[in-house]
Amino acid sequence: MIALDIIFAPIFLSALVYFLTRNAQQVTKYIALGWFVVLFFISYNWLGQIMHPENYNFSPEILQYIKATGFLPLGEFLRVPEFGFSLTLQIDALSVAMLMLTSLLLILVVFTSWNEKYQAAYFSLLILFSGPIFGVFMTTNVLWFFMFWELTLVPMLFLVGIWGAERRIYAAIKFFLFTHVFAMFMFIGFFLLYKQTGYWDFTLIKESALATPALIWWLMFIGFAAKLPIFPFHTWLPDAHVQAPSSISVLLAGVLLKMGAYGLIRFTVELLPATTQKFAIWMVIFGLLTTFFAGMLAVYEKHIKKMVAYSSISHMGLVVIAIATMSYDGLSAALYEMIGHALVISPLFLIAGWLHHKTHSWYMTDMGGIMKYAPYAGTIFMLAGMAALGLPGTMGFVGELTIIISAVKSFGWWIAVIALGGLISAGYIIWAVRRAIHGEPSELVMKTNFSMSFAEKFALAAFAFLIIYFGINPQPIFDVANQAFSFLGGM
Amino acid sequence: MSFIILIAAGLIVPLFYRSNIFIAKTIAVIAFLTAAYFIYQGQSLNDIFPYFDLNKATMLMEFALLATLAAVSVSLTGFERPLIAQMLFLAGIALALLESNNLFLFIVLFEAMAIISYILVANIRNFFNAEGAIKAFIAGGVASGIILLGFALFSFVTDSFNYANMNVNGKYTLIAVAIMLAGIFYKLTVVPMHAWAADAYSQVNHAAAAILSGVIKSVVLVATFKAFYKFLIAYPLATVLIFSFFAILTMTLANFMALWQKRISKILAYSSIAHSGYALIPFAAAASIYSYAGVLYYAIAYIFMQTSVFLILNDFRREAGVKYLRDIKGMGKRAPIHSLFFTIQLFSLAGIPLLAGFLAKAVAFYSGVDAGLWGVVLIAALNSALAVGYYVWIIKHIYFDEAENNQKIEMSAGSLISQLILLTGTLYFGIVASGILGATISF
Repeated sequence: MIALDIIFAPIFLSALVYFLTRNAQQVTKYIALGWFVVLFFISYNWLGQIMHPENYNFSPEILQYIKATGFLPLGEFLRVPEFGFSLTLQIDALSVAMLMLTSLLLILVVFTSWNEKYQAAYFSLLILFSGPIFGVFMTTNVLWFFMFWELTLVPMLFLVGIWGAERRIYAAIKFFLFTHVFAMFMFIGFFLLYKQTGYWDFTLIKESALATPALIWWLMFIGFAAKLPIFPFHTWLPDAHVQAPSSISVLLAGVLLKMGAYGLIRFTVELLPATTQKFAIWMVIFGLLTTFFAGMLAVYEKHIKKMVAYSSISHMGLVVIAIATMSYDGLSAALYEMIGHALVISPLFLIAGWLHHKTHSWYMTDMGGIMKYAPYAGTIFMLAGMAALGLPGTMGFVGELTIIISAVKSFGWWIAVIALGGLISAGYIIWAVRRAIHGEPSELVMKTNFSMSFAEKFALAAFAFLIIYFGINPQPIFDVANQAFSFLGGM
Repeated sequence: MSFIILIAAGLIVPLFYRSNIFIAKTIAVIAFLTAAYFIYQGQSLNDIFPYFDLNKATMLMEFALLATLAAVSVSLTGFERPLIAQMLFLAGIALALLESNNLFLFIVLFEAMAIISYILVANIRNFFNAEGAIKAFIAGGVASGIILLGFALFSFVTDSFNYANMNVNGKYTLIAVAIMLAGIFYKLTVVPMHAWAADAYSQVNHAAAAILSGVIKSVVLVATFKAFYKFLIAYPLATVLIFSFFAILTMTLANFMALWQKRISKILAYSSIAHSGYALIPFAAAASIYSYAGVLYYAIAYIFMQTSVFLILNDFRREAGVKYLRDIKGMGKRAPIHSLFFTIQLFSLAGIPLLAGFLAKAVAFYSGVDAGLWGVVLIAALNSALAVGYYVWIIKHIYFDEAENNQKIEMSAGSLISQLILLTGTLYFGIVASGILGATISF
């Protein structure tokens, strides 16, 4: 039951939290923080149960099931027998990795938005967001997956639309419409899956039973591609990520984009392996286009947060290439890069947003010499930037290296061109650091008061610690990946 | 039994209009509840007359109908009080229409309901109301004529009007049914028979518009599907072509028209027309076993959400004079609870999950996919995704824009109760699908 509660309780109780704490605004963030910590520990507990099921008191059948499928069953609710439909909650190592990442980011986001305005509404919406996002990663029913997927958009619409920057309304509505429209392709794809196999549960759907696998593959791929986002479908992202408050940019980049990658792994590689093999080259082409196109745009960009947003798109292109390899190494690298991307891009977004908050300018040309006046933020920006361009000792290095190795293994030497993507990112990051962080202090910077609250400093330090910790010791993530992708022949 | 109770209550209620409207409302609600109780016991018209039959699916639709009408009657005030008696009559006729088992009765009851709808809209306070009412009346008259023409033609080629024994393979059956459907399309506001609805829904009193666009349309939808199911099955190619064509035409045109509007009631009117388009997909997919589930689910979800948005708009108009989009700016601060209800119901209309609107669309669209019309369904799904544009545009005005004046708006307790009833329906049918699917699968 606990699994059902942590999805539905936030959805139905967040409005209550809002109306109860409306007159005591400072209380809401503690409720939110407490709830997210609870979520973190629940997912941590699940991680233990999946990695070492023999240490827990499971009945032999469940133990057998976990061993055979990798999924920990959490229950089946809301049955509709006529439709063969129910809310099936099952989690495997991949979903638990995503759940832990989500809850960790939610906790840190509470700290980074400690002094946000209209706190009761803001944190109620964050609590509301935690329900469907957990649902997305926990259910194996494709229609419920879609329902939670769509529901995550609602709190995001309000969070971007009310707390965002100048063009927030345009960005919020564009984000909502864009992802909603492209999700419809996926929706029809899911219907065709059920029509042709008779199952809603993706652990039961077999590719061999499908009459039109290519059509279904493309319908689903478009849905995930718009979320990731892949090159021709990416235009919502720079608007939404730039206009969103930086804490929400962290969630958009750290969690919502991961939904796309998670869906791509689940519904292409795991569900339709033979068809994916056929179209893998298209995924590689789209991935390369995304990496280079977004990288070039980032080089050209003067707007600091847009630069970070394009860098984020560029890294997701690498994830697509890693997924396209369809090998154990590639998917492990993809999972590592997904987590690494979330942890690396978040401090960049946070500092970019913080700089705008302090200087009221978005443009790197107006800045310079931040290091002198705000050494803490400057240092973390540099560290995260170096991680983004792949400096050894950080998460970026391990991620890019493993992706290049696995891609070369699967596609041959020519794919090593993606290393050029790393070169481009070195270009824009170093140039950004040169222009904004170092250099002569501009007048704008000199007259700005760069004070940072303790909560924000704490969150940034946590990101920095994790980037270095997992950069030096990547083994825990690869252990999870080993469990998640053992069906591809792990170690 | 339920029919008699409702009609009797409708005759008694006007006696209390002048002295105490609270008693009138109480009588109405008690009548709706008793009617629901007798339906639950299986004692509706089928008890007294032949030609009626009550099954589980019809029962569900009737419960939704009675709950909605009870909610509407609780929320009414002032000059809207004549609606109470009219709603009681409407409920009686709608029950008969839903339960009827005979095409002749279907036509007669359909006309009776049309007449009540003319009286509903005739609650005229200004020129706008009059224009809308006249349009509704004239379009309804034309529709009646067309239906009767088709029905007359059909009566030449059949021996029986019972749904079970109708002769569906006669010489002129197809053309007769097409003519009858053309008339019914007026009531279902299918493009190009929709023109009256855009004006009538937006210009008559909003409470009447809630009943006209929400309640009557859903009842007609379900009753029409039951009446014409045999024909839809008998002519598969014509069914697919006609209904797919009109479904796509209706939703696309209505969605594009809605994007241009500045009056909120007009946006909701066009949204209502667009929803007729989505609801036609299960008609096109009549061959699928999920088609009746699709129609019924759509009708039940739609009755709650459409009625609710018009009632909230009615409250906003009465308390704050809201007419245009600019009047609703900052409503999230001025009337937080009603704004939340309004937002949830608009999301439901837009098809956001965990609300009835989503599951209704999902079942209706699935029936289309099941019948092999996935191309049509894809167009419908994209349409419904684009339609989010104007729903979110209303929500944008409510929450993202600053209000011109920050005066709080006090809402009556009756309106709050009625909205809670409707919200319960929207949420319940958004999560629990087993009731409707279980009831319809044997159709």
